[in-house]
Amino acid sequence: MNRRDLLKMVAAATGGVVIGGEFFLAGCTNPEAKIGIGVDFTESDIAFLDEVAETIFPKTATPGAKDAKVGQFMTVMVKDCYDEKDQKAFRAGMTSLDEACKAKHGHSFMKASPEHRKELLVALDKERGEYQKTKKSEDPNHYFQYFKQLTIMGFFTSKEGREGATNYKPVPGKYDGDVDYKKGDKVLTGLN
Amino acid sequence: MADNNTFDAIVVGSGISGGWAAKELTERGLKVIMLERGHNIEHGKGYEQSNKPVWEYPHRGGRTQEMIADYPFLKRDYPLNERNLHYWASDKDNPYTETKRFDWFRGYHVGGRSLMWGRQSYRWSEIDFKANEKEGIAIPWPIGYKDLEDWYTHVEKFAGIQGSYENLPQLPDSHFLPAMELNVVEKDVAARIKKHYNNKRTLIIGRTAHITGPLGHSPQRTNCQYRDMCWNGCEFGAYFSTQSSTLPAAMATGKLTLRPFSIVTEIIYDKDTKTAKGVRVIDAETKQTYEYFSKIVFLCASALNSAWVLMNSATDIWPDGLGSSSGELGHNVIDHHFRVGASGEVEGYDNKYYFGHRPTGFYIPRFRNLDGEKRDYLRGFGYQGGASRNGWGREVAELSIGADLKDALSEPGGWRIGSTAFGETLPYHDNKITLDKNVKDKWGLPVLNFDVEFKENEKKMRVDMKADMKEMLEIAGVKNVREYDADNAPGMGIHEMGVARMGRDPKSSVLNGNNQVWDCKNVFVTDGACMTSASCVNPSLTYMALTARAAAFAVNELKKLNV
Repeated sequence: MNRRDLLKMVAAATGGVVIGGEFFLAGCTNPEAKIGIGVDFTESDIAFLDEVAETIFPKTATPGAKDAKVGQFMTVMVKDCYDEKDQKAFRAGMTSLDEACKAKHGHSFMKASPEHRKELLVALDKERGEYQKTKKSEDPNHYFQYFKQLTIMGFFTSKEGREGATNYKPVPGKYDGDVDYKKGDKVLTGLN
Repeated sequence: MADNNTFDAIVVGSGISGGWAAKELTERGLKVIMLERGHNIEHGKGYEQSNKPVWEYPHRGGRTQEMIADYPFLKRDYPLNERNLHYWASDKDNPYTETKRFDWFRGYHVGGRSLMWGRQSYRWSEIDFKANEKEGIAIPWPIGYKDLEDWYTHVEKFAGIQGSYENLPQLPDSHFLPAMELNVVEKDVAARIKKHYNNKRTLIIGRTAHITGPLGHSPQRTNCQYRDMCWNGCEFGAYFSTQSSTLPAAMATGKLTLRPFSIVTEIIYDKDTKTAKGVRVIDAETKQTYEYFSKIVFLCASALNSAWVLMNSATDIWPDGLGSSSGELGHNVIDHHFRVGASGEVEGYDNKYYFGHRPTGFYIPRFRNLDGEKRDYLRGFGYQGGASRNGWGREVAELSIGADLKDALSEPGGWRIGSTAFGETLPYHDNKITLDKNVKDKWGLPVLNFDVEFKENEKKMRVDMKADMKEMLEIAGVKNVREYDADNAPGMGIHEMGVARMGRDPKSSVLNGNNQVWDCKNVFVTDGACMTSASCVNPSLTYMALTARAAAFAVNELKKLNV
């Protein structure tokens, strides 16, 4: 048996902290769930998701979410991997996020300044954190959970994210179990 | 009969056991055909995904709703994934039925599960071989450690096993290549455990079939490159598989014919000579039927499928199939039980990291029910686990969104350590597989029905499996230790064993001490089906040793005209 997932399994069973840093995923977790009904995304949806993702992971000295085409990635994952409940929650979340922006700043998310976008998403993330702590396991996630998780996963599993923001070593050629680490050194990643 | 359908030996299956049978039989001079039910995968060339980075997968290696719908069995655990899905058998083409839940994860292609196996490789000890007899459980093994010791060495020298010499009676050392390294945290935990338990418990590197030094006989293989991409197939040939190791050796003799797409449906039994004449095959692509003839047959189709072939053979003599006269064929299904243990956080190593993606973890050999200890269950368990720093997938509760979060996740998080126990499961007669003739596979063949469950001994053992890990981690200074006992069904261990067990008496076993079917001496079964008990260690190395031993015996008997 392949025990590649051993630590992930241990982590999942002990409360969802992922050891070794692979991905976590809001959908795709319940094998008995209803198959998704099919959702479609337009180019403007992707542009919207790109801006949400870029606000979560902006370009700095390292690439941002738009460089990693996270908007497009989100739509693929939601269409192909999410079950119906998660698809609906994600779709509705796009509208809710835009409405929250209008209520807070008086205009749509796409028209908001980077500062206003960030202010909004910081508030939504706080709301998400509180909601996720108290929700029942059968309840859908707070919609911002999907956006945040897919951004993190999409970015760190992209070529741009791996090569630009991590210590990407596809063929290390050796193993050293005791190397010095100083704050600021990047996380080690590979092909997986 | 046509000449090109006749061989000295037929090997059914091309996984770990089949590959070894082909190698040993051809090297001892026999002309052999190896029949594999699935397609061919060529070493290197067939590993399209060996170098494929995660971003080239549309779902980054995960599973889609379509995959979940197509694989009702495989979806139950990690094998359903986007990376090596083509290495796992189709659940739709190959259905089975469940009186009780059984997770059967199969690899139907040349190499079988030797391409996707976990590569953990441990010798059994005399304690394992003697346990049934000592405790009056099931039946005694017909062989002991001494019978297998030289054969372990033989296969280890060829396959290449890395590990550390520990001199433990319950876990004999192999012939090792240089050991992979425990990391700095694992070494610290190992030292603390060793000290606290006064050397009675040890944490060592997980012994695996990876090469870490040159193997003179296999120049085509290269040392492990620490990519942790094993389960995609390794173009370096760094881990043992049929393709990387035994198949090239067998092919080099010029005596091996490999025929993929060959589903062996039955062994052709001759009642006058009381021997097998050969096998009947359905071509998986054309559905045409063929026959192949030989002096001996090695059945290495994977444990449950080897039993299936026997159940379908010679039914005019024995209604329940060839080898069923004892009433044990298909019974005593064993798998290891696991997915129980503990994990926690390690402080004080923020200035330490590691380099490379090590394809093994640590191993804690069995320590229960040894040296006269008597728990409220029989046998024992070992642990497999690892310590590592959290990666980008961790929660960073103190950060919201933005550049700070991106930067934080671009650095490693704190250290964690965790593990799962692997426990021995007892052989129970009523844990069984039978033919279900009401359901047919893609080729119109009857399927297996499963009636297998873990019982009281396993349940009691799990209490210790969980608590002992928690205790050891806490003693080692690990913080916030949490226990778990996850969903665990028979089959998930992918260590199916026992359905054609070896024994000393034809009345209570299917095979004798040389893996010969009691009722048909020129048929040998050397995969997991032959196992009389389970031990708690991973079984594949023992299949290799048993297969090599049986092959040598078979060739000697052929020379003496005894089979």
